Amino acid sequence: MRVEQALRLLPNLEALLPLRGLVLTSARPDARVQWGSGGPYLTVGKREIEPGELARTMGQVLTLVTEHINALFAAYIAALECQERHDAPGAVSALVGAGRLEEAVGRLSQARAWYEVSLALAETLQDRRPEIETLLSIGHVSLALGQYAVGARHYQRALVLSEAEFDRGSAVDASVGLGDAAFECGTWTGAQAWYSRALRLSEAADDRLRLGQIEHRLGLLDRREGNLTRAGDHLRRSREHIEGLDAAGVARDMARVLDAQGELDAALGRPGPAAGAFREALAWVRRDQHDPALDVSIRLHLAELLLETGRLLEADEEMRRAEQLAITSNQPRALVRIYTALGSLRGRQGDETGFVFFEQAIALCRAFEGPAVDEARVLLAYGLFRQVSGNPDEARAHLERARDIFRSLGVEAEVERVEAALGNSHGAHTPAAGAG
Amino acid sequence: MSRIVTRPVPLTTNGLALPARGAGGVTAGAVRVLAVGGESGPGPLQSLRQWSADLGIDLEWAPDLPRATRLLAGGDWDLVLAVLGDRSDEDLTWWVDALRAAHGGTRLIALADRPSMGLALRAEKLGVLDLLALPLKREALAAALARVRSAATEIAVALPPADTDDAAADGHYALVGQSPAMLEVYKVMARVASSTATVLILGESGTGKEVVARTIHHHGPAATGPFVAVNCAAIPENLLESELFGHEKGAFTGAVARKIGRFEQAGGGTLFLDEIADMSLALQAKILRAVQEREIERVGGGDSIPVTVRLIAATNRDLQEAITQGRFREDLYYRLAVVTIQLPRLIDRGDDLLLLIGHFARQFGARYGKRIEALSDRALELLRSHQWIGNVRELRNVIERAAIVVSDGTLRSEHLPDELRAEESGVPEHPGGGLPTLAEAEARHIARVLSHTGGQIGAAAEILGIHRNTLTRKMKEYGL
Repeated sequence: MRVEQALRLLPNLEALLPLRGLVLTSARPDARVQWGSGGPYLTVGKREIEPGELARTMGQVLTLVTEHINALFAAYIAALECQERHDAPGAVSALVGAGRLEEAVGRLSQARAWYEVSLALAETLQDRRPEIETLLSIGHVSLALGQYAVGARHYQRALVLSEAEFDRGSAVDASVGLGDAAFECGTWTGAQAWYSRALRLSEAADDRLRLGQIEHRLGLLDRREGNLTRAGDHLRRSREHIEGLDAAGVARDMARVLDAQGELDAALGRPGPAAGAFREALAWVRRDQHDPALDVSIRLHLAELLLETGRLLEADEEMRRAEQLAITSNQPRALVRIYTALGSLRGRQGDETGFVFFEQAIALCRAFEGPAVDEARVLLAYGLFRQVSGNPDEARAHLERARDIFRSLGVEAEVERVEAALGNSHGAHTPAAGAG
Repeated sequence: MSRIVTRPVPLTTNGLALPARGAGGVTAGAVRVLAVGGESGPGPLQSLRQWSADLGIDLEWAPDLPRATRLLAGGDWDLVLAVLGDRSDEDLTWWVDALRAAHGGTRLIALADRPSMGLALRAEKLGVLDLLALPLKREALAAALARVRSAATEIAVALPPADTDDAAADGHYALVGQSPAMLEVYKVMARVASSTATVLILGESGTGKEVVARTIHHHGPAATGPFVAVNCAAIPENLLESELFGHEKGAFTGAVARKIGRFEQAGGGTLFLDEIADMSLALQAKILRAVQEREIERVGGGDSIPVTVRLIAATNRDLQEAITQGRFREDLYYRLAVVTIQLPRLIDRGDDLLLLIGHFARQFGARYGKRIEALSDRALELLRSHQWIGNVRELRNVIERAAIVVSDGTLRSEHLPDELRAEESGVPEHPGGGLPTLAEAEARHIARVLSHTGGQIGAAAEILGIHRNTLTRKMKEYGL
């Protein structure tokens, strides 16, 4: 049975999300279909699943779910016990811990619900540190959900409180969070100001890991702004800070810096060093605890580089490797990114059947209740795809929907981008426009 | 038809000769080896350093994978020794992935503590040259090095010239081949092309069904009209009907505007429905109506729209069996199979393999700015012994990949993908040496059958005579 058929038989209930994940991770490609003419368009929906295999692996998933629920119940009971002992900060800590557990398994909205409960309690305390911790957590999860304005609001409050409390570490976290929110919204000047502030605070504390992380973000920002030389300087400093640590747990940061270096080299027209940096980043990402989402992200950047240099076959293979990784590690959000990229790739090749990737990406956003920003990104790319394939009405419908979502999230930079695309759409209202 | 004669190429002329290091070969001198992982203290590294002069190896060490990828990207290496130690079987996959990606042609030998059967099978599948047990024995390493050196003695064989390979070439969509099986195909195509008869093309994936369909279209009465291909297997089931027949605005959520379907787009030309067996029965009924009555209805529309298209359908499935199982309409089958063309598998096409290699080598050589005139005897042997589950499409893919990485005029085994190079692997039957256990023999046989069926569990279970659930369990048990 195909995954698309299996998912149709599964009601859209939150409690069944782990089962939906199991269907995804159990999907196997059919070697014969892979080599068929439909091979280039295969998505997870066209993979096969075996009910027998689902039944066999169900036990492991149920064990994980039970452990997770146990941990949540335990956190809740710990919070109650703390309350009984009049230890409100302890209760806040237990509730925040529950939120972190939810975040760790990708249940972002649920994590946020725990943090909100925690915040309501923390706000009643005289000690402001639990409130700061909770605000930072809400800020973080809001950004992950694509709710940048909400995230920024919470980070702002966290910053004010941490400065009042002389809590430098939290002030750095809040400044970085505010920088991230500004970055995502395309407010480069704001992002620059917040990151620079965080950098100054970290320099005073000589926190090398934090310094490395902030320099990395400044590097990304400068690359986005087109200041490639300065971006290179930031990334070099970031690498020096992180390499100097030589401690466990920095592999992920190192991978991120190398990934950014690869993107910078690609922007500078140096495909060889760029590919080398991406390859090394992939090696780092596997060194400690494997982060599949980061792995997929690096592979997509590598695929883009291969695409830019005309190595279409290798680009496609790299994306398919990323797809396999995203499926086996149950990363529907990563799959959405991959299918969006594959759809755009087919669009560039003038292949109209590429629409199947966007349809699959949208279906995944809905089936796995992904953040609205993910669907908006798919719709933007889908709209652009339909523009060049000569379907202006459909293109406009997708773009308008994307604009509405971005606007509701306060992502003005993306709203402007969609508006620009819609402008093109009005000017190209003939089937032949841009086709090919 | 006479067999195609392959000619050895003198090793000293015009770039066809197998080069020394730099183009993948190993000189008679020192073998440049990068050892990755392990400890710098006592252990395999220490032994390697002691033996290096004696065994003729020029050894360098990278403590971990990130540093190894940096070193590999920066130089020419003959061999990578991956010191896996007690890492899990799964680690081997991404080590090989990372190391190969950093330096494509380098041969790999894995060193592991008590290598399991799963690791041995995985190593073999990944094209790892050898899997040696730790503590490392000098003789085992010497034997593996001898294999690396012998791999450098590949002899170049000239590819067939362009003028003999593709009489039926048609631009990008070329029909290449002179085998008796293909001559039969050409005869039927010639007979049917001038008519407007519906054609059903049967054949495994990658045998060239769309190429045949395009050729029939280009040589038929509708050649000036459009050729519209629809892959029924690629399109989500819920969208296929609107893709084929179009829809009216507002027909369903997301139908934001009227859409012209592929039947209408193909008006006056040919509609090629590929993988037709992947269609639901409900949609099959609508196709039948379109074929019988030569008119369609858009989704959400009430009007019948006449269509004038030549229909060519194709599938890799056994339609007779699908009819028996009630998955395919018999009446539609007879409507489509007015003329049937059965395409042969690549392994049944004999020397067409070499013609196709030559054709694709020229095609991709031109695309990537390379002049490829020969392939090595070892590469040819690997290509000839491969199962080609994906038929010509798989071969095309393999030659394109090779054309990307080849640095001179000869395609060699090192330019071929891991799956093909697996046959070069010297991974022992029993990782610990000696005769394999019953379980090891069983694991190896299951791996072989799965390879034969292209990973199809159902087909493999049938060959093995066991239930598919039992096979799945055993696959898990053996790490396959």
